Amino acid sequence: MYIYDALVISPQATFSEPEWMQQLRVLEGLKYQALEPDYSGSIKPAQLRRMGKALRMGVGCGAVLLENHGPVDGILIGTSEGGLEGCIQFLNQIVDYDEGTLTPTNFIQSTPNALAGQLALMSGCTAYNVTHVNRGLSFENALIDALMLFEEGKAGRLLVGSVEEISAYNFNIEWAAGNYKEEVLSNGELLNSGTRGTVAGEGAALFILDAEAHPGAVRVADVLTRTAPEAGEMQHLCEQLLRRNGLEAGEVDAVLLGVNGDAEGDAGYYQVAEACFSHSAWWAFKPWVGEYPTATGFALKMAFDALQGKEVPDEMVLRKGQGLAQTVLIYNHYKNFQHSLILLKREGAVNESSP
Amino acid sequence: MPTDVVVTGMGCVSPLGLTVEANRQALWQGRDALNKARRFKSRYASLLYFGEVDQDDEVLLDRAGLSASEGHTRTDALAVLAFAQAVADARLSPAELADSSTALISASTVGGMCMTNQLYKDSNLQSDTQAFLESYSASAHAMQLVKRYGIKGLVDVINTACSSSANAIMNGVRLIRTGRARRVIVGGVDSLSKYTVNGFNSLQILSEEKCRPFDAQRKGLNLGEGAGFLVLELAELAGSRPVYAKLAGWGNANDAFHTSSMSDQATGVLRAMQMAVEEAGLIPAQIDYINAHGTGTLNNDQVELTGFASFFEKVPPFASTKSYVGHTLGAAGALEAIYSILALMHGEMYGSLNFETPIDGLGLHPLASSRQASLQYVMSNSYGFSGNCTSLIFEKA
Repeated sequence: MYIYDALVISPQATFSEPEWMQQLRVLEGLKYQALEPDYSGSIKPAQLRRMGKALRMGVGCGAVLLENHGPVDGILIGTSEGGLEGCIQFLNQIVDYDEGTLTPTNFIQSTPNALAGQLALMSGCTAYNVTHVNRGLSFENALIDALMLFEEGKAGRLLVGSVEEISAYNFNIEWAAGNYKEEVLSNGELLNSGTRGTVAGEGAALFILDAEAHPGAVRVADVLTRTAPEAGEMQHLCEQLLRRNGLEAGEVDAVLLGVNGDAEGDAGYYQVAEACFSHSAWWAFKPWVGEYPTATGFALKMAFDALQGKEVPDEMVLRKGQGLAQTVLIYNHYKNFQHSLILLKREGAVNESSP
Repeated sequence: MPTDVVVTGMGCVSPLGLTVEANRQALWQGRDALNKARRFKSRYASLLYFGEVDQDDEVLLDRAGLSASEGHTRTDALAVLAFAQAVADARLSPAELADSSTALISASTVGGMCMTNQLYKDSNLQSDTQAFLESYSASAHAMQLVKRYGIKGLVDVINTACSSSANAIMNGVRLIRTGRARRVIVGGVDSLSKYTVNGFNSLQILSEEKCRPFDAQRKGLNLGEGAGFLVLELAELAGSRPVYAKLAGWGNANDAFHTSSMSDQATGVLRAMQMAVEEAGLIPAQIDYINAHGTGTLNNDQVELTGFASFFEKVPPFASTKSYVGHTLGAAGALEAIYSILALMHGEMYGSLNFETPIDGLGLHPLASSRQASLQYVMSNSYGFSGNCTSLIFEKA
């Protein structure tokens, strides 16, 4: 399974600026909001007005990818909550108006499968269509589903993506649970805070994935997930992943860690990285996009860019490695409960051209 | 030879009863469970018909060994009760359940949002309890199952609206066929909730009468609730345990027409059935009986029958078991898979209730009452908002 193209809306300038890693945006507060583009080229104004942020961001990326690279043999989306803002607006109306007459727009547009459906509708794609909603592994489940479709010979090209929005409501719920920082920090200070909690993030990351490689392609070689692992089990799983992909630990040039500033959760990442990948470069991504259940969509974009020869800036480097990366592993967990490993390899030399 | 995937266990909780056998009895006897709601609190409770599991939250939670004070919801309880039956039925040991080759794929559309009023308080920072903060997601019930049974294999939760658990079943087979699991527990769950009742009501597709699938005078659907889980295994794992059915075919397509209605040409309906039949290596004429989606809405039934008329030279007997339990949304695909398998196992077809007059121009009559039949292949259809269409084909074991 090879990445042919990616479009990502995030708190960074990923959508419009190929050199986004060289111009990282400083973020402050507890909500790292996505930098949304002007959608007028890809979404009709009447449609845009009715869309919540998650749907808007997802369609804003997906419609362009389908326009440029369609048709596809399936649309697969991972999202924990979909358009939660619209969903809870609808719930609030139910309670506030005691189940009076309501308009269906919020209901229909906020269901998690609305994005995959909307993209199928806009592109006339009647092929495989699915939405995985397994919280912190939603995007990984979509990637595994895509791997299966290619193995089954059911697809040559797929659109696969992730989306999540910060809504006032899910922010409140996570805040009430004590999952966010109590102090005010800038994103540069997040990983050294030493306190509990993190910051909220959001974004959409959509990919065109192919069965066949093109010159210099980045391959999604493997995806492994584990829910509620026991102590030490993730190290064991890392070894298993390397073994089944014929790799030595030293051959992983960089590990992209999901560290998010929560002291306890981050300790787990460093433990695994130290035990299994002490000779690799360590990179971080959440200080630039915040924490959300499908943040690995953004991580895949960052790894994809790095594997195509874009330089990872010092701010994102936790530990320096050597030379350009050819093999990258993303290790992420959501609330220390849902863990995932995504292995990426660049085929051929890094200086070959890419599309 | 492709790997055979078989069903070795089933469990369900539905308005028809808390066991698979109770469900089968009611289906065979043509006894529906559509009533005004007694447990579900809503201004529509006495105005509309529902397929309600006739037990209070506390009773269901208690039976499932769960408790509201720990943030467990009605959805969690329904899921645990059905899941426990399915794995007991398949005689899976705790070690087999916790083996890394045993996966779980569940489905839900409402999840813990059945706690509408509590969610309102929590999301607006008005609550005096923290118990439910992790309870609302569509995946919350699956996390309960993971914790309770120590599941170490792949875990997934799917939401394609009303076809969610049909897709969970389909993806379970695919996990086994691609070597990612040897055994997968698949299914889905949904509870009645103000969210869906008001959502469907805003679309004006809820009936004030008992639903009448495929009838010219149909007025809409009745919402229901429940949970269903099935144990899928590599055929060679079944050993001496009973095998209920084989998964023969599956197809997932999108209608690509409209977010909340289906195309007149039945594009998605046809493509999903075509893919399922191809996967099974069958021709349409080999399908003996169809558990139709048959919601009882004007749009669905017209389009589904248009699809049947075009796909089959001679439309096989078909019925909608939603005329017994209502539309259980995320549980529907799993419950209807279980009903399809019961039909195969016992050589019986369950009639579609409340039908009188065929739809103009189609002249298709659903099966009016239950009867015995020799069945080899049963098709089960599920369609959801956003164009999601899935067809499954079960084969007699």
